[in-house]
Amino acid sequence: MKFLVIKLLALMLFSFSVLYASAPTVEVSLTHMEETYETKPFSEMVGGFLKSTGINAFINPDPDELDAHGKEISDFHKSWGRILMILLTFFLFWLAIRKGFEPLLLLPIAFGGLLANIPIAGIAGDDGFLGVIYNMGLANEMFPILIFMGVGAMTDFGPLLSNPKTALLGGAAQFGIFGTLVGAVALTQMGFADFTLQQASAISIIGGADGPTSIFIATKLAPELLGAIAVASYSYMAMVPIIQPPIMRALTTEAERKIKMTTLRHVSRLEKLVFPILVLTLAILVLPAATPLVGAFMFGNFLKESGVVERLNDTLQNSLINTVTIFLGLGVGSKLAAEEFLVPDTMFIMALGIVAFSVGTASGVIMAKIMNMFPGHKVNPLIGSAGVSAVPMAARVSNKVGMEADRTNMLLMHAMGPNVAGVIGSAVAAGVLISLFI
Amino acid sequence: MDTNLVLEGFKFMGLGMGTVFLFLIVLILMMNLMSKIINKFFPEVKPNASASTVNNQNNNKKIVAAITAAIKHHKEG
Repeated sequence: MKFLVIKLLALMLFSFSVLYASAPTVEVSLTHMEETYETKPFSEMVGGFLKSTGINAFINPDPDELDAHGKEISDFHKSWGRILMILLTFFLFWLAIRKGFEPLLLLPIAFGGLLANIPIAGIAGDDGFLGVIYNMGLANEMFPILIFMGVGAMTDFGPLLSNPKTALLGGAAQFGIFGTLVGAVALTQMGFADFTLQQASAISIIGGADGPTSIFIATKLAPELLGAIAVASYSYMAMVPIIQPPIMRALTTEAERKIKMTTLRHVSRLEKLVFPILVLTLAILVLPAATPLVGAFMFGNFLKESGVVERLNDTLQNSLINTVTIFLGLGVGSKLAAEEFLVPDTMFIMALGIVAFSVGTASGVIMAKIMNMFPGHKVNPLIGSAGVSAVPMAARVSNKVGMEADRTNMLLMHAMGPNVAGVIGSAVAAGVLISLFI
Repeated sequence: MDTNLVLEGFKFMGLGMGTVFLFLIVLILMMNLMSKIINKFFPEVKPNASASTVNNQNNNKKIVAAITAAIKHHKEG
């Protein structure tokens, strides 16, 4: 035993001595490094430093600088383009803070955009931290899926379960998606824009009025358009209270707006618990391509309705979704680099996005009017507009416009039915688009 | 290659909206069926609420009886 201890001690001593012996060699190599530094006159040092400033990079762009994909960037995008983009991010800050436009996502996206347009630092490049975030969770479509879990945990399917037929309104609103798809390819056909079918599909999903779905599809089908699609999607979603009411009023009569709907029946806990499994089973049978989205959504909802995993439910609804939102926003912001955003396509995407929202709203309202032609309980057409997802903003808009016609008419809970059905509808539409390109 | 993209777009629309509506119509039918089955065979039991009210009523009766008995006793005594 003693021998063993002595041996161990000896071994330790030996290893220490080896370490110490090797230490000087490290120092030697360091001095070698220092020797390669040449002394320069001070003026030259200042000149070199000035060349590395942002001011110089904006005025005299580096001709050899390449974008995140190793492609050439035009001089405009390296100088004025970046300044324009930085000003645009300031405008987005203003929209988010002053106007309250979806600040939770618009602020991280805009700040990401600001960082992505800094010359020399290359924050949005593969080695920059925005690039790392992008590759970590957006390039592989991870973040939108995680957000979907959180959204699932926040969703209550009770109103839909108590009045199932309102799900049709959530389906009709998806005309916004496919109408825009036709619009995008028509623009290409007429020679204004140059969208492939994949790009047109990615743009059209803005009409689903569902941020994570838009981002999921865009990264899958047209990652080069992600920045514009995400910005269009979130800014229009924030503008739902401005875009929707005129369309809703134009398509309905005063009498229709005053329709009172029968009170919702009580939904048992078991029904709510079986529902997510029911939807997932249907998705598995009909459209497996939609199951990543539907599956994550229903996972979150199932945890919530199970009632036995309050801690996990709480994490999904709060800490997880908040953390992922930060990363998702910054990652999307990295796609706001001038060379990717300041292209004619962006203008078309913005225009098509508003068409998508309007068509979705209108077709939801029209669908409700069609449903009223059939016997049965009457539906107030105002809840049709809530079919465009954008939970819960669109439902609130239905309620508000309804209250304008009749102060006692509370439509909020009735509108939540088509609203959540719209989320399922746009996930199904997304699944169809994915399945068409695989 | 001169494919008519607009026609292609309308094909997408037909297939897409068809699938969305098919999915939701089947979902509505299944929801109605599920609700019927659950409400028929597994109705939501509310044992706590009903039992407690019954108990409360019994308790109240007992208390009332006790009080009246006490008052009677007091008056008589």
